[in-house]
Amino acid sequence: MLRRSLIVFGVMVVATSGMLAKKEPTVPSAAGKQKQLALVRVNVTGQSYDYFRPWQKKAPFSKRALGAVLSKGRVLVTADLVANQNYVELERAESGEKTAANVRVIDYEANLALLEPAEKTFLDGITPLEITPDTVVGDRLAAWQLEPTGALLATEGLVTTVQMMPYPIEVGQFLTYRISIPMQYRENSYTVPLVKKNKLAGLLLRYDSRSQLVDAIPAPIITHFLKEAESQNYRGFPSAGFSFFPTRDPQLREFAGEKGKGGGVYITNVEPGTPAMKAGLQVGDVITAIGNNEIDQNGNYVDSLYGKIEFTNLLTAHAYAGDVVPFHIQRNGKPMQVNVTLEHRDAKDYVSLPYYLDQPPRYYVVGGLIFQELSRQYLKEWGPNWQREAPQRLVYFDHFQSELFPERNRRIVILSQVLPANSTIGYDDLAYLTVKKVNGREIKSLDDLAEAVKHPIEGFIKIETEEDPKQIELDASQVAAEAPALQENYGISSLQRLQ
Amino acid sequence: MKRFLIATTIALLLSPGLPAQESTPAGPPMEPQGPQAPQAPGPRRSSPPAQEVVPVPVLIAPPKPNGPVQKSLVRITATAVEPDYRAPWNAGGLQRGVGAGFVISDNRILTNAHVVANSRYLTVERDGDPNKYPATVQFIANDCDLALITVSAPDFFKNMIPLKFGGIPALESTVSAYGYPIGGERMSVTTGIVSRIDFQLYTHSSIDQHLAIQISAQINPGNSGGPVMQDGKVVGVAFQGYSGDVAQGVAYMIPTPVINRFLKDISNGHYDEYPDLAITYAKLQNPAQRKFLGLKDDDRGVLVSSVVAAGPSDGILRPGDVLLTIDGHPIASDANVELEGERAQFEEVVERKFKGDSVKFDLLRNKQPMTVTIKLYKPWPYAIQGHSYDVRARYVLYGGLLFQPLNLDMLEAYRATDLRLRHFFEYFTVEQIYLQHPDIIVLSNILPDPINTYLAPYRGAIVDEVNGKKIRTLDELANAFAQAPEQLVIRMIGDGPPLVLDRNKVEAARERIKTRYNVAKEQNLREQPEAGPPKQANKT
Repeated sequence: MLRRSLIVFGVMVVATSGMLAKKEPTVPSAAGKQKQLALVRVNVTGQSYDYFRPWQKKAPFSKRALGAVLSKGRVLVTADLVANQNYVELERAESGEKTAANVRVIDYEANLALLEPAEKTFLDGITPLEITPDTVVGDRLAAWQLEPTGALLATEGLVTTVQMMPYPIEVGQFLTYRISIPMQYRENSYTVPLVKKNKLAGLLLRYDSRSQLVDAIPAPIITHFLKEAESQNYRGFPSAGFSFFPTRDPQLREFAGEKGKGGGVYITNVEPGTPAMKAGLQVGDVITAIGNNEIDQNGNYVDSLYGKIEFTNLLTAHAYAGDVVPFHIQRNGKPMQVNVTLEHRDAKDYVSLPYYLDQPPRYYVVGGLIFQELSRQYLKEWGPNWQREAPQRLVYFDHFQSELFPERNRRIVILSQVLPANSTIGYDDLAYLTVKKVNGREIKSLDDLAEAVKHPIEGFIKIETEEDPKQIELDASQVAAEAPALQENYGISSLQRLQ
Repeated sequence: MKRFLIATTIALLLSPGLPAQESTPAGPPMEPQGPQAPQAPGPRRSSPPAQEVVPVPVLIAPPKPNGPVQKSLVRITATAVEPDYRAPWNAGGLQRGVGAGFVISDNRILTNAHVVANSRYLTVERDGDPNKYPATVQFIANDCDLALITVSAPDFFKNMIPLKFGGIPALESTVSAYGYPIGGERMSVTTGIVSRIDFQLYTHSSIDQHLAIQISAQINPGNSGGPVMQDGKVVGVAFQGYSGDVAQGVAYMIPTPVINRFLKDISNGHYDEYPDLAITYAKLQNPAQRKFLGLKDDDRGVLVSSVVAAGPSDGILRPGDVLLTIDGHPIASDANVELEGERAQFEEVVERKFKGDSVKFDLLRNKQPMTVTIKLYKPWPYAIQGHSYDVRARYVLYGGLLFQPLNLDMLEAYRATDLRLRHFFEYFTVEQIYLQHPDIIVLSNILPDPINTYLAPYRGAIVDEVNGKKIRTLDELANAFAQAPEQLVIRMIGDGPPLVLDRNKVEAARERIKTRYNVAKEQNLREQPEAGPPKQANKT
């Protein structure tokens, strides 16, 4: 429930402030091992889907970045880099030799992806990076970048904070290192490894050039990702499915039956269908410990490495989907233990999908009316300030979806825009309406809509919306007759995509 | 019928970063000339010799097409107290401003509502008279930005000439605006032409839309309330415009149909405000939809989309009805009617009516023709979505927690950007939120004290229940607090935690908080003082 003010931006920003970072000497052994550097360049071309014209893709983008070479011929990059890719290429830094690569595993929530070169021998000669999981506040980490020549550019900085923070996709919070580091801009600095004593300590998540603060995906999250990636079926990070609130206020503590100076967090909401619900956690329960880790009034436990840190770290970095985690709770003042079997919550298990990448958006066109399913990916089409600039009613639906649509097993179908045509005369100004019924049938997904459209009432397709005008009618035969002209006029390759 | 208005208010709220002038069709009302008005050294006052420099008008004898307007014009100085929504127990900030007004029949002075709104003390001056005369507001119509004031001094009106009203001036015809704008002390005249006649948002309330006439005459703060004349008759009252950095030569005046309606409305002794049908509707221009609804191919009819339950159409009109005529005027499918040879939105028929008047519709319901009659009044829920004047902010302060009902003034005072608050504000009427929450009670602020030191995260939340009982109004909340159970459990709308207060602790903290923050009164539940007639009748 905390909002962070730092602007979420996966891309490294141009460092306009001076070039005062010193070169390598902070990483003494690196210079000598230049040829063996465990870095490869990663060139990505891709295309995002155009949610305003969902039948097509946007103009191609290309990104140059670095990848950290790990054991077993794997290259670690951020998911940001390869999301919506068409073609990924690896390039040896010292020789410029190139090969195609495949994305083997990708986790958008943790912002990590593993690449594999098409040529198995491509990474030969490179000593892979080991991973060091023990970075703590006060350690110095070096950001590794490459000069155009292939030489190492290392900049050192201080780890100032280790805390739980939202990642760019904003599904849950993850452990994050914050490092104060005066990074320089290099053309290929998309994924920047952070290194401690020649071992990988983290990957750059975002960089704010003004404050010179880097947030990094820390080694414990990377290790978790790599371990999961070993299995055939990558499941992603687990979640429990409840919201909580600290119990610092003595009046709230007393209300919850926690006398005196007890600790814990107050459960404010348990989402239907989640592990927390299945395990029987209830609103009003106070979680006092998870396993052997006691939780204080602020929601922190004492980590052996970091000291006090929010307990959700126990449910992400420390736990895997399928783990059974004992929750110690107080219910009406009585201590209880509840075992929660953690699961990964897939993006598809949300009403408004938090992300939808590497797959084309679903849509359905009826006589110039374009129907889509509300998702955060769609809202993000309004740009970095989408929360303020996108249609506010839709932002509200997305933001409060668990409260507004507790049944969960549905989508919000919207009439997103209208292409002027003979059948839509008078409807041209309609946009962002939520669809309630079509031909008398309830609409909870585009599939419902596609089915309902097939059953016109006395020759009319009747669409009912939550918002004004509340009802829209089309002539079914006119819609069918006009379809080819509509496709031709607006260059719509297909009038629907439900896959 | 407020859909366009609501859209504009929203646009304003959603883009707080933009200058308001850019996002609203009409600029802000001209504020009465503030005390910070440039202190141009008045030649006549500061240095008598300078007077010689002033050209002597008598020698030139310019034509005065409108007669001696200075015999009708008054300069109004208002001292206003603006409610402080962030510290509602305080009296609020003092503001002094200057506007214009003019004498009309029966010793009355017509001016803008925004010149005298919130005023605590008014004086008027007239040409050639050194005295300042105390004045009082007789009627104020904040929804159309007009007010009538009067002066009790017996001789004040003796040599004044009441102005008469004309009609709607023709496009491109020349008009003159009189007033006391920045630049000097004495009356100023500017001329321009009539540029446009259309419905505009009246920014004083910022929710009402009426006919307004755009003129190219230079109009500045201080012109507000002054007459705009043509051929010796008043054709409008200057009231709003864009500031020079947005658009130049775009000023608006209130035309005589709106003025005449105001004068007629108050003829029974109080102002009843504009009635409203309180429906939303859609145009019926789609051939397939027309066929579906059983309509002929005659370009007539609009579709009722929703009916506000608190409004006069509730129980009479239904969503899905097709309105065919209003008081016998055929309604075109683009929602226009023809009135006296001019096309206008069909709501114009309602605009010309008064509270208690009826309006008749011929309509089609389930393809069957029907006739209905609606007795008009103004539905209350719109009130929170516009600015209020001459009211005292309502609030309850308990344990340092300030609870206030949501309205436009409060939202602007806090510059609230909260998604939920904005949604409740925006859809208050359209989605009938007011049925569940006639007051949307927001925990708007917290005066820090040991008792509430951990409660900051609750700020901005909306109260739903106290101790299991739904709270619908601020009075109910005050009652719940007054009953003072041992423990108060306040549930907020949404998934957040309950806010728990220990009565004994709150009681112990009360005096401490009152003293520390200089809180004169812990609650105010009424917009108007209990005693004395309210200035604005029919305030719900």
